[in-house]
Amino acid sequence: MMHRLLLVVLLALASPLCMAAMTIEIVGGALNRVPVAILPFSLSAPGATDPAVVVSGDLGRSGYFRLVDSQGVVSPASPQGLSLPTWKSRGADAVLMGQALPAANGRIEVRFWLFDAVRQSQLAALSYTTTPAGLRGVAHRIADVVHEKLLGEPGSYSGRIAYILKRPGRYELQVADADSENAITVASSPEPLISPAWSPDGSKLAYVSFEDKKPVVYVQHLADGGRRAVARFRGSNSAPAWFPDGRRLAVTLSKDETSQIYFMNPDTGELTRFSRGGALDTEPVFSPNGRWMYFTSDRGGSPQIYRAELPGGQVSRVTFEGGYNVSPALSPDGNNLAFVHRRNGKFQIAVMDLNTRQMQVLTDTALDESPSFTSNGRMILYATLVNGRGVLATVSVDGAVRQRLSQSGDLREPVWGP
Amino acid sequence: MKSLISALVLAGLLAGCADTATVASIEDRAVPSKDAAKPSATSTTSATTAPGAATTAADAAKPAGKPTSIVETRPMVEPDTKVASLGASQGVAIGPDGKPLAAAGQAGTAGPGAAPVLDPKNPASPLAQRVLRFEYDSAAIRDEYRALLEAHAQYLKQEKATKTILQGHADERGSREYNLALGQRRAESVYKALSLLGVADAQMEAVSFGEEKPVAEGHDEEAWQQNRRVEIVYEGE
Repeated sequence: MMHRLLLVVLLALASPLCMAAMTIEIVGGALNRVPVAILPFSLSAPGATDPAVVVSGDLGRSGYFRLVDSQGVVSPASPQGLSLPTWKSRGADAVLMGQALPAANGRIEVRFWLFDAVRQSQLAALSYTTTPAGLRGVAHRIADVVHEKLLGEPGSYSGRIAYILKRPGRYELQVADADSENAITVASSPEPLISPAWSPDGSKLAYVSFEDKKPVVYVQHLADGGRRAVARFRGSNSAPAWFPDGRRLAVTLSKDETSQIYFMNPDTGELTRFSRGGALDTEPVFSPNGRWMYFTSDRGGSPQIYRAELPGGQVSRVTFEGGYNVSPALSPDGNNLAFVHRRNGKFQIAVMDLNTRQMQVLTDTALDESPSFTSNGRMILYATLVNGRGVLATVSVDGAVRQRLSQSGDLREPVWGP
Repeated sequence: MKSLISALVLAGLLAGCADTATVASIEDRAVPSKDAAKPSATSTTSATTAPGAATTAADAAKPAGKPTSIVETRPMVEPDTKVASLGASQGVAIGPDGKPLAAAGQAGTAGPGAAPVLDPKNPASPLAQRVLRFEYDSAAIRDEYRALLEAHAQYLKQEKATKTILQGHADERGSREYNLALGQRRAESVYKALSLLGVADAQMEAVSFGEEKPVAEGHDEEAWQQNRRVEIVYEGE
């Protein structure tokens, strides 16, 4: 009943200059949060902002940790100066301390130590060297290490997300850090942009643009902003999905008959038709091992998720519960399927264990869309509508921890980056 | 309790602050890229403005006369970090040059100098009726649209050089891609109806906007009804 309590925790994130693009509220949390003290880092590098602020933000909003008050405390000059019994008596199970030191060529060295305050032992000690611009990235890495050391499974704080920001008369494809900081608009258009899809190596985004007054699939290289229309056939072109090897795309085309799935090589233009028949097939997505392609089809009379064994093999139906199951997304280990499920007229995020075929609805909102798994497979990122405005949210695979990320704009179609 | 209140106050302040900071910072970043793409079709063209004008302006400014995209892109420069290449610098804006991106080909204004009765530009003409509405999750054409379809078919059969784009739409519920496919099926259903009435395939294209271009912005059945539609658009409009 934790989420009945509606623990609303609003965290003051990031820099004192209010650069935070989003505030994050937690609408639920794990029953047993690990109490951890994150001491402000000692900063001797000029211009360094405190990584502890970012680490606290990451861990605090995850729903898995409780931050033990460490205000006014400064990390001691060395780990020998840290009194673990003191922190244990203040209720901390673990203590993080660190330093940001000046390094050559204006770079910054970040050192940190993580201690188990109960067992009085060191859990991690690492050093990173980076530029001032890379400092936030290092802090997210530190949060990943703390998460993994204390919970025994990887964190996903250092990922990237892509999503569409709808502004009045304009659509922006943005890429941001997992905490939604450092947002960069990589493409911007007066016509709709939809369906962003990361290439497996994270260097490209495929998406659908309506700049030609119809849906056309583009591939854009993030490093230089160069982009190219890869599917601009007669009719509609949409739903790009990368094969796990990153060389080919699956797309939905209507050039031959109603929406059907095709495989294409964007470099050579080589095109193979995958599905046939009058039913509507779309939203292809591949299992990480490349063995299966999951997709949405109304061949059975209502939109349901099916999967095909590749290459071009047998198709079988995956979802049976309810009359509307769409937008399949696979967990990194291929064991869980997230999708949008309609129940009592509400469109909600559900997850299915593909081994047991057990399904669980994870959200209680009405217009959820675009689920995708975080890199550790523990959370699902999605978009929902709150007060008529699109917001991004995450929910843990067991439904216990939900967070909402809110920004001043109207956000849709988030997708977790590799 | 005191700390909870102060946290909420602080959060409120930050939320307000974040709003303005976000808007400002995004606008700031947009400026250089607009300059680079000067004169920017994007900054001056709203979604509803005829793209023809913007395309002409952009083309005139380009020495090679290459078509210019209305979409601006921006490179993501990775920071020089040994451990992590995360995040990105503020980046240098670049123009959308270099890649041949056809701006919507709005050329052929093949003047439909047709009979006054069948003039798509005349609001009194039956051809002014352009919108067909649909039931939820359905692409079946209602009987009430028989006269509308016959009028457009007659016009298109007379004007063999005229082309039409059948734009399918869906309401906002459910997935964007499924709705795109649903809108496509609605557009195809109108395409088939016109085809059966004798209109040549070469004069028609069925495309979909999915849920992306609602005519009614509400989130209720009344708005959804209006948004489940096909619009018959003549090329050059």
